[in-house]
Parts: sequence; C-alpha cells; structure tokens
Amino acid sequence: MALRDLKTPPASVTEASAALDALDDALVGGFGRLSAANLEALHGLHRSFAATPLAGELAAAIAGISRSEFLDRHFLVLAAARSAVLGAMHDALLAQACAALGRPAPEIEAIAAGAGQAAPPQVEVWLESARHWLMELALAGFANLELEILLPFQATLDAMSSEPALVRQHALLGGFLEEMLAVFPRRGEIAAPRRRWADLWARALVLAAGAPEPLRSRPTSGSLTIYGADLRQHDHLATLVVYGALAEEGAGTRLVRASVSASKVDVIQGAELGGLFAEVAPNLVAALASGQRLTLTKAPLLGCGDLIWEDSRTNLGAKAGALVEAAKLLAAAPALRPCLAPADRHPALIDELVFVPDSECAGGPPLPIERIPTTEDLLATDLAGNKGFVALLRFDGGAWGLQPLAIDKGKPLPRMVGAGLAAGAKGHKSSSLATLKERAGKLLRKKS
Amino acid sequence: MAKENRSVIQPRSLARARKVDKVPFVELYAGRLQGVVSSGSDEDRVYVSYFEAGTGNFYCSTNNNRPCGGLRGSPCKHLASLLDEALLQYGAERLVHGLGLSAEPDKVKRGGDLLRFIKGGPHKIEAGVVFSRFLTYLHHVSVKPTTAPIPEMGWFVR
Ligand SMILES: [Zn+2]
Repeated sequence: MALRDLKTPPASVTEASAALDALDDALVGGFGRLSAANLEALHGLHRSFAATPLAGELAAAIAGISRSEFLDRHFLVLAAARSAVLGAMHDALLAQACAALGRPAPEIEAIAAGAGQAAPPQVEVWLESARHWLMELALAGFANLELEILLPFQATLDAMSSEPALVRQHALLGGFLEEMLAVFPRRGEIAAPRRRWADLWARALVLAAGAPEPLRSRPTSGSLTIYGADLRQHDHLATLVVYGALAEEGAGTRLVRASVSASKVDVIQGAELGGLFAEVAPNLVAALASGQRLTLTKAPLLGCGDLIWEDSRTNLGAKAGALVEAAKLLAAAPALRPCLAPADRHPALIDELVFVPDSECAGGPPLPIERIPTTEDLLATDLAGNKGFVALLRFDGGAWGLQPLAIDKGKPLPRMVGAGLAAGAKGHKSSSLATLKERAGKLLRKKS
Repeated sequence: MAKENRSVIQPRSLARARKVDKVPFVELYAGRLQGVVSSGSDEDRVYVSYFEAGTGNFYCSTNNNRPCGGLRGSPCKHLASLLDEALLQYGAERLVHGLGLSAEPDKVKRGGDLLRFIKGGPHKIEAGVVFSRFLTYLHHVSVKPTTAPIPEMGWFVR
C-alpha cells in the first residue's frame, strides 16, 4: 500500500476542476445576468460534451438561457452535465487510488427489481417545486441571495419531511437551505463557498428530476465485523454510517456499509444522538460501543454494498479483534465493497476504506487528516502514538486526505467514532431529547 | 486550498446543546431571533418572543396572541431568557451577527448584556408565525429514523 504516492491528482481531474470553476462562477453571479466570461464557460462546457448523448440538449439549454428563456428543464440539463463531469473525475480518482493501493476497482452487484412501492403522487408536486426553487437560486446567483428567494421553499421542504421516498432530497435540500439562511442578515455580497454550493445545487436538481426508483435489495446472511464509523450531520439530520466486513454464508468476505439517519434539531448533539439512532438500530449502536460482531439473517443488501438495517434481523455475537482483522482484509480489499451508484459519483463522496499501519505513520500520517466529526469518541490527537488506524480515503480541494474512523491505541477497544452513542441510547428523563419528545407528544397530538 | 474550491467545509460555529425545559425553542431564522418560553407559573402556558435583526424591534405574547404583561416599552423577562438561551445555543459571535448588533462578541457574558444594544421597540407579530416553526421543530424529533442510505450526507460534516 502506498498512500504516500497519492500526492497529486491525475491531470485530467485538475483540468476538469478548472472548467467546473468557470461554470460555477455563473451560479455565483447568477444566470439572470450572465457575463461574457460566463457565456464562454457555458459554451466550453458544451464543446467538452460534443461527442456525447447530452450534446444536443446542452446546446438547446445554453441557447435557451442565453435568450432569457428560463425553464427548469434547461437548468436540469446543466446540472446533469456538471454531474457527468464530476462522475468522470470520480472515476479517474478512484482508478488512481486503486492503483496506489493495489486493489481491484469496486464492483456493483446487479440486483433485480423487487416489488417496491411507487412514490405517492404528491412527490411529483414537491419535486417540481424544488426544481423551480433551484432555478430561482441559479437566476439570482449565490452572491445575491435574498430571503424572499429562500423562504418560499420552506413549506415544501417541511411537507417533504414525512415522505420516506424523499429522504435523500429532504436531507440535501434541508442542509442546503439551512446553510444559505445562516448568512442572513447579510452584509453586502455573500461570500459563497462556490464549489460546495454549486455541488449541493446541482445534486439537488438532479435528485429532483423525478420520483426515485424503489431500492433494489437481496437478502444476505453472515457475520458482520465493524471496522469503523462516521457521523455526518446538519441541524436537522444526523447520519451514522458504519463500515465493516461481512463474512457471507456460502460466499466470501466482502465490505459493507450500513447507515441510520435520524431527523433531529440543533440542540440534540453528541451522545444524545444515540437515543435517536437506537430507535431503529439498537444492536448496531450497541455493537459500536462493545466491539461485538453481529450475526445477520436475511438482511437486505443493495448493489453498492449498503445494508438496509433491520434490527430484528441481527443478533449481537462474540467480541471481535476488529482492527487486527481490518489490517489483514484491507491490505488487499475485495472487489465487492461499498461504492457509489453511477448517478451518485462525485469526488467528495469517495469513501475507500483503508487501514493505515503504524509503520506508515512514521513522521506523521501519510496524507493530510480531514473531516473528523465533532465527537469525544475520536479526536485528531488520538493519532499520536497510534498502532494503526482505519480511515476513509477522501478527496477534496484538489488533494487526497484521510478521515480516521477508528484508531488502535493498543487497548482492547479502539477509539471509534460512534462508540459513545450507546451511552445516550439509554435515554434520560431530563435529556433535551426526552423533554422535546414529551412536548411533541402533547402539542402535535393536540394539533392533529 | 481556498475554501471556494472545497466541497466539504466544516462550519465555523455550531449550535450547542443546552437544557430545553425553560425555553424549549430558540432559533435564528430569516433575520429574527425567535423562540418559545415556558411560563414560570402555568405549566401549559407558553410565551412566543422575538427580536428582529436590523430594526431591533421585539414582541412577546402568549401563543394565543394575548400580549405579555411584562412588556412595557422594553423587553420582558421572557425576551431576556430568550437572549440568554440563544447565547448558550449559538455563542456570542453568531448571535451578535444574527441580530446585526454592534456589540463586541468577546465582551458578551450573558444574554442580558445585549439588551442595551437593542434599539427597537415593541412591534406586534402574529404568534402563530413563530409557533408554527416550533411545531415543525418538534415534528423533527418525532419522525422515525431511516436506514436507507443517504450519500448526500457526505457533504455535511460537523
Ligand atoms: Zn414576555
């Protein structure tokens, strides 16, 4: 393994990134008043798609926008083109990483469609509202946002929150709106985080293109060993993502992801999140703290390596020497491991699971450390004197980095993100969560 | 590399955990600091209070739009509690910016220290505007968690 070799990204990625910057400048300044440079960037984008199926639609979209024909369809095409560029960047980066790590490219397992439920009809109405709102944002430009543009979408967003088919849309749109609202009261032009907001805008628009397909899963049974976890959150959602190895019955060992996402409010933080996650995944939360394996029985698994957690299909088992196993298995990771669906590919979402042995940490970690969530469970300072750590290989801002998930400190249990959640899962009567839930029980019942 | 070229940015200041029994709801939203404050005497009564950024206007009433008796040209105790809890939740820098005040964040020790920077007067708004935000807030802790993957949360680190 040679993480240290990942010093510079492939040249194609750097070039594509510069082209995106030019496009994203139009989103910052606003499509309602494009400059000559903005228009040139749009035509440059079109040229780079010349021999692709998107070329015709892209030409029509750019021509339409140039003559002030503002249709959400045009912006959707632009967002799709931007996503395609990022998908290609993702592929080039992942190929570079796999070559450096000496591992095969991840494989997506083909799974037949099941008898999933179609999304209810109001979903199309909400998605249309989202597309329209996103177009309004693009016309105004991130630097010129006004509350009058942002606030009208709040009602749609709130309505979406109870619709299971739109969890991804709601998670993204909610986080994006919250971030934009945080700049108010604004003082002059907004210093927009260009790449980030353009990413969120484009992904939101692509996700709003139409009602999502039901997930395709197949049942799997076997023994799951947790190697590490990540905690992601904005004010109204927290997501716990667990990474581990699944020794599948009748098959080999593969890597998997499992996630739990809980709607929440800003004052619910730290261990208290455990109380929310444990509502649907108590065994997963318990295993993070205890280091126990989990036995799965006919648990649903998606093609990209995501387990859909159903706690009733799991049992806590014996304690595992997780990081010792991780060191062995991740030295030559199996091709069946978590990855992104083709439509979801993006450099910032690359999450290759790696083990960094202490021998590679002489003189500091082999790559810059980034994205450690705010938690007492694992701190950047825990890396001092580590005996190896499990991390996600990350790419952002033009460079590779490492996000530690679990750190071997020579103790029976590693330092691991999420290990402290079990303490909050028991729930205390005086906790903020309990207080708010009690009020919700009274008030929301009264209202309905 | 500059922030403008990064996809994932950890926010500078985060809302903090705080006890929510006396003041169950505080938010900086759309140019207002607003919230819901429990009545000291009646368990089932709540006051809806707000300060507006810029103008410095404020108001306090029950959720049934009955004006707060403590509001006599200057902020009542509920509004003072709202500031105290907002300081705990957001920290001085974000609160001072959120209200557009001229106070120096480093010198703010209690929410009450900000009262002298509030230049506006009582200005009635419908309590329902804020109270419906509170109900939405409570709805957030009542939605069942999901175990479907949400790749987009990869953008949100804190
Ligand atoms: Zn009052």
